[in-house]
Amino acid sequence: MTLAETQALFHGLVTGDSPPDGTALERCFRGTDELPAAERVAIYRNMYLDRLVDALRETFPNLARFLGEERFAALGQAYLAEHPSEHHDVGRIGRRLAAFLREYPDPERPDLAALAELEWTRNVAFFAPDAPAVGADALAAVGVEGVGRARLCLARSLNVVMLEHDAASLWRRVESGEPADPPAPGPAAVAVWQRDFEVFHCSLPLVEAAALRAAMAGETLDSVCAAFGDRPDPAAEAHAALSSWFDEGWIVGVELG
Amino acid sequence: MFQRLGLGHGIGLRATHFARFLEGRPPVDWVEVVTENFMADGGRPIAVLEKVRRDMPVVLHGVSLSIGSVDPLSESYLAGLERLVARIEPAMVTDHLCWGTQRGRYVHDLLPLPYTEESLAHVAGRVAAVQERLGRRILLENPSSYVAFRDSAMTEWEFLSELSRRADCGILLDVNNVYVSARNFGFDPLEYLDGIDAGRVGQFHLAGHSDKGRYLLDTHDEPVPPAVWELYREALRRFGRVPALVEWDDHIPPLEEVVAQSRRAAAIEAEELAPALRRAS
Repeated sequence: MTLAETQALFHGLVTGDSPPDGTALERCFRGTDELPAAERVAIYRNMYLDRLVDALRETFPNLARFLGEERFAALGQAYLAEHPSEHHDVGRIGRRLAAFLREYPDPERPDLAALAELEWTRNVAFFAPDAPAVGADALAAVGVEGVGRARLCLARSLNVVMLEHDAASLWRRVESGEPADPPAPGPAAVAVWQRDFEVFHCSLPLVEAAALRAAMAGETLDSVCAAFGDRPDPAAEAHAALSSWFDEGWIVGVELG
Repeated sequence: MFQRLGLGHGIGLRATHFARFLEGRPPVDWVEVVTENFMADGGRPIAVLEKVRRDMPVVLHGVSLSIGSVDPLSESYLAGLERLVARIEPAMVTDHLCWGTQRGRYVHDLLPLPYTEESLAHVAGRVAAVQERLGRRILLENPSSYVAFRDSAMTEWEFLSELSRRADCGILLDVNNVYVSARNFGFDPLEYLDGIDAGRVGQFHLAGHSDKGRYLLDTHDEPVPPAVWELYREALRRFGRVPALVEWDDHIPPLEEVVAQSRRAAAIEAEELAPALRRAS
């Protein structure tokens, strides 16, 4: 067999892409009476599944906790059959798990896709580059006449996810060991960020989430604040939101437009 | 010619011990990290590593280079490795004599190769390409194996030694892996050591394994067992003073226990090599 043929066969047996073919297996691998070739290959097959399910468990700790060992392993194996790893970093193996759960929702817990998305976003935030935050005085420095045209530079770890269920509540209950509430349909917005190597998240009102997303997209402060236009007191709400963004350390710079 | 470094005795830097390394320098000479865990631009791991690097030498030990795969070398992986090497300035860059990708899909395992002339030529060419890209030699580690190939035309030690000469790379000799594979295939581990090109050995690995009855599994979740310590003595007698690392990757104990294993390796090295040094003087 050529090296390419050997690797194609071995890979298929390890990942389960190829059904075990006794003849091909015996032609390629050498076993012993004590440990035949098929059992030797099975060692790699079992390690493959265990290793990747463990990697998923590390990225989705509360999803794993909620489902329990057996159900999470079954989910992981079904997912890996459709979405094998395509990156050298095993930590990225779960990047499509939320989409997979949306495609194959748990009939009793359709909110698990949102939980997976929240946990994936937390994982991404953990590895995001850090930058020192600036205070609200950075805004004052651009002058009153320039504020409307100013743009905010947001921390690279900050992300806002829009979820079809309130996953933040489910995450908190599972994290603290409390029984889960029934699924709470959304839409729900959650901000996720990292500070001093610790990852945080919080629910946001939808209006504030829209404003924050506008800021992240590089819109001017005038456009960002326009998101509050339909609120009873737009200026007060925009001011309160902006102040909280500075307080949380989400803003790392202010640029004059 | 390949130059062996005099690093001393190190341990693996693992996340569970990050806080201890930030508090102060533990009594080890150097640390090894799993390369892929530190390739992200940000986050705690790389921040900790940069701090540790200010205190002691660091060795980058990869698991995803997939040097033996028939897939093309991954450009994104090499670029990430290049960036990390520039950032950390490691004492050594190491990976495994194995493959782990097929048509862009990663199994995240260290799959063995058939030891054939075709494999040798293939791997040697890729090692040369990686070394040229990085501008430095790499060291390749012998894997633990559970399967052997009917097509293999040479032993692993013959393959590894010839590869190191042909590609001008170093050998990271994992003493535990020699022991595990010897048990799993029924060869004499001393024959393995005797067949390795001593001038190419740049590092030892020491670790524990699990006895599954009909085979040994390379688990790195136990102290180094007596049989591996004994084989380490044999390796020292053949290869002399070689930087040695204690690996512990699962069920990781308190730092003191891992450090104690490293100190034991240093003590064994002193015992084995002291008489020869006295004779030399």
